[in-house]
Amino acid sequence: MPSGPAGYACCDRCATLTGPAEAGARQGLTAGDMVAGPSAAVARRRVLKAAVFAPRSGQDASWSTRPQQNGHRQPGEPADTSHERATFADPGRLPRTVFGIIQDVSPHVLVLGEGPREQRFTLTPNAVAWRGAQLEPAALHQGDRAVVRLTPSGRQVADRIWANIGRVTGVILERSGGTLVVDEGATRAPQVVRLQPRSVGRIQVRFPTLEPGYLVDIIGLRTGTELIGMIPATSQPGYPAGRLPEPPLISGHVPDSISGSATWHEPRDEPPGVLGVAYPALDPGTGCAEDMAGARPGSSRMPYLALGSVLRVRNDCTDTDCLVPVTGCATIARLFNDRCVTCGTSPRGRVADLTMASFIALGGELERGCFNATITIGA
Amino acid sequence: MTVLEAIREVQIPLLAAMLLGGCTAKLARTLRPGAGDKGAGPTVLFPMRMRLPLALTMCAVEAGLALGLILTAGSRIGAGAPATCVRLGTFLLFLVATSALIELRQTRPDAGCGCFGDFSTAPVSGRTLARSVLLAIAALATLGLRPIEPPASAGAALELIIVLCVELVVIGILSPEVGEGLIRLGYSEPCELRYIPAARTVAALRRSKAWRRYSGLVSSGTPSDVWRELCWRYVVYPGSVQGRRAEIVFAVFLQHRRPAVHVAVVDAATGLPFSPGAVEAGTPAQPSPGGMSQPSADLAAASAAIAGPRAQPTAAQSTPTAPTAASVVQAARTAHLARVRDLLLSMNLYAAP
Repeated sequence: MPSGPAGYACCDRCATLTGPAEAGARQGLTAGDMVAGPSAAVARRRVLKAAVFAPRSGQDASWSTRPQQNGHRQPGEPADTSHERATFADPGRLPRTVFGIIQDVSPHVLVLGEGPREQRFTLTPNAVAWRGAQLEPAALHQGDRAVVRLTPSGRQVADRIWANIGRVTGVILERSGGTLVVDEGATRAPQVVRLQPRSVGRIQVRFPTLEPGYLVDIIGLRTGTELIGMIPATSQPGYPAGRLPEPPLISGHVPDSISGSATWHEPRDEPPGVLGVAYPALDPGTGCAEDMAGARPGSSRMPYLALGSVLRVRNDCTDTDCLVPVTGCATIARLFNDRCVTCGTSPRGRVADLTMASFIALGGELERGCFNATITIGA
Repeated sequence: MTVLEAIREVQIPLLAAMLLGGCTAKLARTLRPGAGDKGAGPTVLFPMRMRLPLALTMCAVEAGLALGLILTAGSRIGAGAPATCVRLGTFLLFLVATSALIELRQTRPDAGCGCFGDFSTAPVSGRTLARSVLLAIAALATLGLRPIEPPASAGAALELIIVLCVELVVIGILSPEVGEGLIRLGYSEPCELRYIPAARTVAALRRSKAWRRYSGLVSSGTPSDVWRELCWRYVVYPGSVQGRRAEIVFAVFLQHRRPAVHVAVVDAATGLPFSPGAVEAGTPAQPSPGGMSQPSADLAAASAAIAGPRAQPTAAQSTPTAPTAASVVQAARTAHLARVRDLLLSMNLYAAP
């Protein structure tokens, strides 16, 4: 069974992100129900923020102790995005993603399932698959864990399949021959990466220092708890993780839009299919689990946000965008001062670490590791 | 005293001051945790394990030469051969430094000279090299100089001061660190990047006019939610307006003094803002006894609420048996995942299997 409904593509849900009250209303919940716990309160933040900054006709000036002057907003004040909402992406414009175990595959039909339940997808004539390398969909194996991209036009039509794809991004803890133990953050278990012998040369071109303390980012095939490393996802920063370069001084106000590299991460403990983004600079006061566990500070300076903040993420290579909520902190991504070269060279390092579903919805190819992206804060 | 003699005499204190300044700045950088073996200046040309010892050796040599220059400047201590040795050593130091900077410029054009620690991050330029050459010449000029005596007259003292000032200006022009220092002195971190603890925001809110006006609606001194986006921190208190459950949302601009505060009073059931008229009618003349008379206690409660999302580890820390790091991490991880799931469920972005 696909582990999530086929319909939770990025923008067709994000388009309703004007507030969880609307989402709650669809679920038959009242706002009061939604604030029953602190977790739901996180989702309610957008409603409350909108209430504070929404323009009110005939508003009593005392509602703000320091009203805006001459119509100019304070630095960092959320922009009026009403015009952006009007130009929201067409819900049928972006691809959706499903996850599942391959039960059967033929040149024309893919059957995903788990247990007795299964779901069939029609493959387009030009559908391609990836299982360590590009291959025909019919060459996939029964039992492979697949990530399937559905075409925007058809809910049961697939055009791209990644089988057993995995990624490990972190700091090398140990190396024993061609096997690496990688720390992916304090709240995740260390990952074992076994470098495929024929890929070692390719990986070492981009990661010349496969020694403890250095950063690594490798894409490959997941076999149980191990990853068979096949593709270097980026170029290795020249510094060890414990000796990050000093972040440059930033003057003036941080622009609303920041261009850089958007990467993806495996779900691990998250439910697969989550549409979200791990952001490198969550407010230390909001209790990011990684920060509490003593995560390293990053080498880049990003504006502070909180869980539940919403970013507009645009794939600069395909010119597609959608709103994505912040669902975690990207403590490892902020250690990378690398560049994405999918289409040109990104002007800075990692600005967003997307979930697989979000990455695919925005037109990313998982085996490429990243795309050049522009995030807009306060959308 | 001729002008040439005045120039030569000025070099001793000037070189000593430069060496002491460089030594102090290098030492401050070297001793900072995690920065010592990162390498600065020509030490980046060496393997990582040698960088820290080299940096410390450089500091020791500079400090030794500076003290030597000062002690052997007069006629009482070390005049003659010891003074010549120290001055020759200083000349050799700047000569070697110039050569190292030339090498650094060719092999690592991105690296700073590290002459004054963290201030010397700009890539080695012609100015940096010229300064090093100038100091080497200055050290060479002190060879054979007679012991320095106090100026015989006010005119001689003035002459020395003028020479010193001119040379300082020349060195300042040749020093990229001056610009860097001025930038740092005038640097103000953008509010989006500035870390301000939530407790400080709550304290600033309690002092604000908006709080005095709306605190009457607040039914609890403990905020139900606190979060930050960009330059604003949002603090939400439960309350009531005309008998209906409400949420009073304060948006506090993150600055240290007199922050701007925006307020919204939202119906807890519908999520819609109350009209200003309803809010005015529901505002009592005096603040309600929601713990507002005890600001310090409220602040503590507010801080506890701010830690709400991570309440599990906080509670665990307050128990007599100290939790292990793993249990704290596990608790934080569980709470984080629960928050994310609820967030996504509420936003209808995730359908639970």
